[in-house]
Amino acid sequence: MTFTDDVPPRATGIPVRRVIGLAILAALLLFAFLPLVTGGPDPLKQSLRLSLQGPSASAWFGYDHLGRSMQARLSAALRLSLGLALLSVVTAMVPGVLLGIAAAWRGGVLDEMIGGISEAFMALPGLLLVLMLTAIVPDNAMMLYLGISLVLWVEYFRLTRALARPLLLSPSVEASGLLGFGPWYIVRRHLWPELAPMLVTVGSYGAASAIMAIAALGFVSVGVRPPTPELGAMMIELLPYYEEAPHALLQPIAVIFLMVLALQLIGAKEKA
Amino acid sequence: MTRVILGRLVQASLVALMVGLLTFVMTRSLPGDMAYRIAAGRYGYDIVDSAAAAKVAAELNIDQPALVALGHWMFDLVRFDFGTSLISGLPVIEEIASQLGHTLKLAFAAIVLSLLIGPPLGILAGLRPGGVLDRGLVVLSTSVRALPQFVVGLGLIIIFSLTFKLVPAAGHDHGAHLFLPALTLALGLAAVSNRVARDAMRSVSETSFYAFGRTKGLGEWQVFRRHGLRNVAVPIITYLGVQFVYLIEGVVVVETLFAWPGIGHALVHAIFGRDVPMIQGAALIMGLMFVALNALVDALSHVIDPRERRS
Amino acid sequence: MNIVLKVTDAAVFAGKTQLVEPTSFDLAAGRVLTILGETGSGKSLLVQAVAGLLPTGLSATGFTEVGGKSFDLTAPTSLRPVWGRTLGILPQEPWLALDPTMRALDQVAEGHRLVRDLEPEAARLAARSDLVALGVGDAERKLPGELSGGMAQRVAFAAARAGGARIVIADEPTKGLDATRRNDVIALLMKEVEAGGSVLVITHDLALAKQMGGDIAVVLQGRVIERGDAGTVLTNPSHAYTKRLIAADPANWIAPTTHEQQGEHILVAEGVSKARGGRLLFSGQSLRVRRGEIIGLSGASGSGKSSLGDILLGLIKPDEGTITRLPGAERHRFQKIYQDPPSAFPARITIGQNLSDLIRRHSLDNISLPPLMKRLGLSKDLLGRLPAEVSGGELQRFSIARAMLLDPVFLFADEPTSRLDPITQQETVALLVELARERSCAVLFVSHDKALIEKTCDNIVEIAHSGGK
Repeated sequence: MTFTDDVPPRATGIPVRRVIGLAILAALLLFAFLPLVTGGPDPLKQSLRLSLQGPSASAWFGYDHLGRSMQARLSAALRLSLGLALLSVVTAMVPGVLLGIAAAWRGGVLDEMIGGISEAFMALPGLLLVLMLTAIVPDNAMMLYLGISLVLWVEYFRLTRALARPLLLSPSVEASGLLGFGPWYIVRRHLWPELAPMLVTVGSYGAASAIMAIAALGFVSVGVRPPTPELGAMMIELLPYYEEAPHALLQPIAVIFLMVLALQLIGAKEKA
Repeated sequence: MTRVILGRLVQASLVALMVGLLTFVMTRSLPGDMAYRIAAGRYGYDIVDSAAAAKVAAELNIDQPALVALGHWMFDLVRFDFGTSLISGLPVIEEIASQLGHTLKLAFAAIVLSLLIGPPLGILAGLRPGGVLDRGLVVLSTSVRALPQFVVGLGLIIIFSLTFKLVPAAGHDHGAHLFLPALTLALGLAAVSNRVARDAMRSVSETSFYAFGRTKGLGEWQVFRRHGLRNVAVPIITYLGVQFVYLIEGVVVVETLFAWPGIGHALVHAIFGRDVPMIQGAALIMGLMFVALNALVDALSHVIDPRERRS
Repeated sequence: MNIVLKVTDAAVFAGKTQLVEPTSFDLAAGRVLTILGETGSGKSLLVQAVAGLLPTGLSATGFTEVGGKSFDLTAPTSLRPVWGRTLGILPQEPWLALDPTMRALDQVAEGHRLVRDLEPEAARLAARSDLVALGVGDAERKLPGELSGGMAQRVAFAAARAGGARIVIADEPTKGLDATRRNDVIALLMKEVEAGGSVLVITHDLALAKQMGGDIAVVLQGRVIERGDAGTVLTNPSHAYTKRLIAADPANWIAPTTHEQQGEHILVAEGVSKARGGRLLFSGQSLRVRRGEIIGLSGASGSGKSSLGDILLGLIKPDEGTITRLPGAERHRFQKIYQDPPSAFPARITIGQNLSDLIRRHSLDNISLPPLMKRLGLSKDLLGRLPAEVSGGELQRFSIARAMLLDPVFLFADEPTSRLDPITQQETVALLVELARERSCAVLFVSHDKALIEKTCDNIVEIAHSGGK
């Protein structure tokens, strides 16, 4: 029912939403990792006379109940959260995508085997799996990393497989085969351009949920334990002081909000 | 339908398998003096002796070869024989039975509340995409989703209990205690389900059959009632299944925050104290609850979608 | 004559741009009016404007007089009360127009119940008799997913008219249908006319226009360029474009000078059989293709034409029989032209990227592409576009160019023009044949259109039917 065969102009450039998300993320990364380069206060150093002191010209973020620098603690916590989340996402994405492509391409027994394993990981809500893994070796960020990666890979596998399967059976791939192109070309020109936007979306949302999970575990005191700075744990520590020092409690909340918001903005799909 | 039921049974056994394996590894990774420490925790340091420690070790099958122990472990698990809590000394099954009731009450209230908030707003937004409601909901949903559940819960406590003193913040004696934790969970669920409903409503209203309903001569409300509602409900119900992951995770956090005596709370305590039998029981029951909720979704979409009844 | 629909100066605009010039026409009771034009001529927009159905972003002017009332087309919503009651709008794709979660009977009955205000029981009875009258009485308890295409068409037809409409508007009712289904739809519409109803058909299909009879209006670039009685316009057109349109109908093509090919066999199939989904498509099929020969293959959909071609290319394996390809010819010199051009290109890379990948892959000469594109009438700036951003005709010519780059000895053209407009179809077929002849490339040309095959090919083969289940 269209009037002409005229084509809509091709969407070029990055949507504004994504630019804003990337900008926030870049600022957070800078805040988190700059102290490693320039040096800064020790996140663990207590000095009780500074307890709950508000923001000042010398310390923009103030001090917590034990007189530790909020700025140092926040950037250390950010390093932990972002680092762990991004690492988990990459760890989950690479095998997930590769297995998805393999399953879609080979089909048969291989497909069913990997599918079965992914079912096992899907059977349990992710946080339960992570919780139980952290119970095996407590106070260990490695277990968090392992658990989150184990939860996340399934989605990459399933989505990649679902996307690749019809594509590999499509006439365009058949045509490329007839034209003499090999499997590498199929991956590079057919699969990858379709997969990449999905990976950005799923990757950002995956990182966001990893950050949430780390904070949730910190909050219920089974994840990373004090005194290691962690956003969830910081909130539970600062909660008792919310009336005298609301700024202290609000800081980790704002940081986590910005982080997840940025990832959501980056991941948001284009809607018509 | 038989395939769906069979699928859920497979899922339930996978839950048991995963929980069994993980908790088994947990018992094996307990440090050497763990049995002694647990025994001490149970009987007190003054009266604990090696016999008591040995008893604990035997309970956990620590002294047996791995495969035999795993066999015992899984066999006990499928019989719902979780043993006794290493901390309280009470049978795990009894503790969980009472906690399950609390958790179900909370989960049920949260689901109902979220369904009252999310889908209706989403449908309204989807009928006028790009409108004020639609754009407002995007901002609101994105914000709620960018906040951890416990922050949302804290916010609600501060607003409702501390500032306006409308409802109690913690406790579990009467209905009012249920409100805040259920609302916390419901807001998180609704922040997603309103977007799902909005997208579903929008795509349904753009279908040929929706347009055909209009050109048949039906009024706008008639088209919505006869061709919109059911077709929008199908994806919303299906998506509930995905949301249950979030619900189960939320239960763990929210129960802890509001000191709600449910399974999530118990699980966190058990993990903190490395109370393996309790971890096992709580994780298994939560996992099975997840499967049961999904089965409920299957049944519901079976009722709503006539296509499901035909295959 | 009893005029039931009178359109005065209907025009369509996108913002300030006029897409359809002010047009007036009448439709009488018991008559057919066919609006004939190619994709993009504005024929659909004209009728959408008349019925108040324009998509958002477009606006109309003019008046529609229907049911004794005049409606201003600048306020399209004012027409809504006549939808279903006076104007029955037949959906383009009946399968998609039926609610997938509602039984057929209910979808028809709701017109009787809610538009005609019948009691529920009476509405059901009326709907049932509609379905029986259309020969789909057994569909009433079925969901759209369980209906065949033909049944869905009839159910949708009944639903469109249940509100009491006696003027039926059908936009491209035969698009994408095979011969049997096409005749079905035409019979359905003609029955309506015989019963005293009126039909307004929008189509690019000359044969449909011929069969429907009545009046014809030919639309080109938003303007009616010729109108009159169907018989007169189609046999004795006055406008050059109409002449060209009629000449583009394969039935009117000039028969080719057949070339008796004497060259070597480049592809030989012997005793090939193939079953799909438990159904035997063909058995004992043999075929010898000589160099440069153009072979036609015709038959109804589902007869195994495409499977035979894919077997020749080695894309699927035959259940029995052997395929022998010319020794020494590389595999990439056996190529295929697909029915749906967009599905034959990687969707996310530009056409130019795809072609330069191909040139690099086979270390071809970069200079052979520009003259080939020029021959095919493809401009250079199309190379920077994605497959979805060029027209179907252009993309199909690109796939011909892509195949020709590899200097093929055999080309399997699987319904290569069935998605194209008639004039584009004629041009595309002509170019394909011309290029193949020049390069002594054999072509297996598959089409459901017998006339097209007869006017194009040197030889015609039949599928060796076994008649099995």
